Amino acid sequence: MALNYLANIGRFIPELLACVTMLGLILIEATYGERDKDKKILSAASDLGLVMVLGSLIVQFNDTPTAIFSNAVVIDPFSTFMKIIMTLGTLGAVYLNGQSRDVHQGVKAEYNILALGVLVGAMLLASANNMLILYIGIEILSILSYVMASLNKIDDRSSEAGLKYVLYGGVSAGIMLFGISHIFGVLGTIQFTGMGALLQSLSDSQVAIIIPSFLLFFAGIGYKIACVPFHMWSPDVYEGSPLPVTTFFAIVPKLAGMALIVRISFVFFSHDGLLSQSWLGLLVIVSALTMTVGNVSALKQKSIKRMLAYSSISHAGFMLAGAVVVDSVGVRAIAFYGVTYLFMTLAAFYIVSFVQDKYGNDHFERFNGLMYRYPLMAVLMCLVMFSLAGVPPLAGFVAKFNILSALIGHGNYTLAIVAGLNSVVSLYYYLKIVRLMVFKDAESNEKIEGFGFVNQGIIAALSLPILVLGIFWNQIFQVVDKAVLFIQ
Amino acid sequence: MSLFWYLSVSFVLFFCGIAVMIARKNIIAILLGIELILNAAALNFAAYTRFLNQNLDGHIMSLFIIIIAAAEAAVGLAIVIRFYQIRESIHIDDATQLQH
Repeated sequence: MALNYLANIGRFIPELLACVTMLGLILIEATYGERDKDKKILSAASDLGLVMVLGSLIVQFNDTPTAIFSNAVVIDPFSTFMKIIMTLGTLGAVYLNGQSRDVHQGVKAEYNILALGVLVGAMLLASANNMLILYIGIEILSILSYVMASLNKIDDRSSEAGLKYVLYGGVSAGIMLFGISHIFGVLGTIQFTGMGALLQSLSDSQVAIIIPSFLLFFAGIGYKIACVPFHMWSPDVYEGSPLPVTTFFAIVPKLAGMALIVRISFVFFSHDGLLSQSWLGLLVIVSALTMTVGNVSALKQKSIKRMLAYSSISHAGFMLAGAVVVDSVGVRAIAFYGVTYLFMTLAAFYIVSFVQDKYGNDHFERFNGLMYRYPLMAVLMCLVMFSLAGVPPLAGFVAKFNILSALIGHGNYTLAIVAGLNSVVSLYYYLKIVRLMVFKDAESNEKIEGFGFVNQGIIAALSLPILVLGIFWNQIFQVVDKAVLFIQ
Repeated sequence: MSLFWYLSVSFVLFFCGIAVMIARKNIIAILLGIELILNAAALNFAAYTRFLNQNLDGHIMSLFIIIIAAAEAAVGLAIVIRFYQIRESIHIDDATQLQH
């Protein structure tokens, strides 16, 4: 028994490393206190920890899928792949935190600690194999996110963002738990393994209980990925939080929720039947609504951060559309979308962050004439915007194309048409930035300190995959193809 | 006492929680509503385990719900205190900085 647990811990190294790094950071932060040099040690320690997590995840990627800790956690290539994306996202957000002036100097260390904690929760969520781990994962993710949203203690916008996050998060977690409790009551187990078969053998009255329960359950997850009926918190929280926090929120919790939705659709609803049809029908409606509402609301925004928040809602809708196709093609499309979404979001937020640090706000006008002041940055921003909109030679196009082809292969034409129309709508607000950057005169010729040589290099490195994945997507597909293994 | 009564109590708790959250404008009251919902779920888990299946999954779930609800309340109250220090109000209608 003891030996068995030790063997299990061997598969759990990435999560443990993240926990140890988090604890170590707390210790360093507590011991070094106010002195200035600790900032370097802290950021170095968090970078080192994250790189180690990333390394152990990459080592783990080719392992055979196993369920560990009495079937509570499942380590399979899909979850490992999502964890790799999320760790990369955390690494990017942590670097941005070091550079950005939006997070106050005193709380930069806390940002790293909290980000690692959220990462642990997200990892648990991606590999959850029973309802308890799912709930613990969601709560680790949420509770630490509340603190992150209100990180700038003296800023009233930040604490208001945290407040809204707490209220919406608490309510949705409660509603989700109420749903889970009735699912448990009907099925008599919280384990995912075998739940799909159990769902098949229910009587009509049991199905009548379990359909509303699953609706309540979906509310909790839908809130985490901010899909439409539960998206109201997202623009407010994204706008109120400091920009590095917004970057983090746009990537890690969203992809963790997406991994969870994919797993649930696979484990519970891969059999045919009334329940699966109603779940998939729900996903179709929610994903179409999410795309449309996200895009239409993004049209009239003045703040780029808020625009990116709405655009991330619509991207979540796109990924949800991939979950409708419950087979390996759909999962592959989602995994690829996750990779491109990571790089596009990081690059866009980096550029917006440095511009915002200079001018104190992130309205569209701040980008006027950027082309004539920082041509490289403007070109990369154009690249990212075109990719977010899904214009052909770029990664965003390949990602959207995969989702669409999976949908069409599955015979889901209506959703595919809605998705295609949405891409067209999204062009309007993405190209608005491009137009301002290229065709407007610059407001001033001041230097933007954030665009130093190193930072420009990093932004270029982040944008490179957008171009490369758009052309050589076949190579990454071979990696992604391995990631579609599941334990049923 | 049959399962039915336990479930009725938990339903009443759940809807009281929802009603509190919709009707009250005081942030502390809304947090209390969230606690009511969480307790309804915990009660459900305990009751289902007691009457329908004898494994301990449900009991463990209710214990974890209690613990995590405490953590959530701690963080939530800390943020509310912060909000109060800045705005000098705990009325939800005063949280309007972020609407455009």
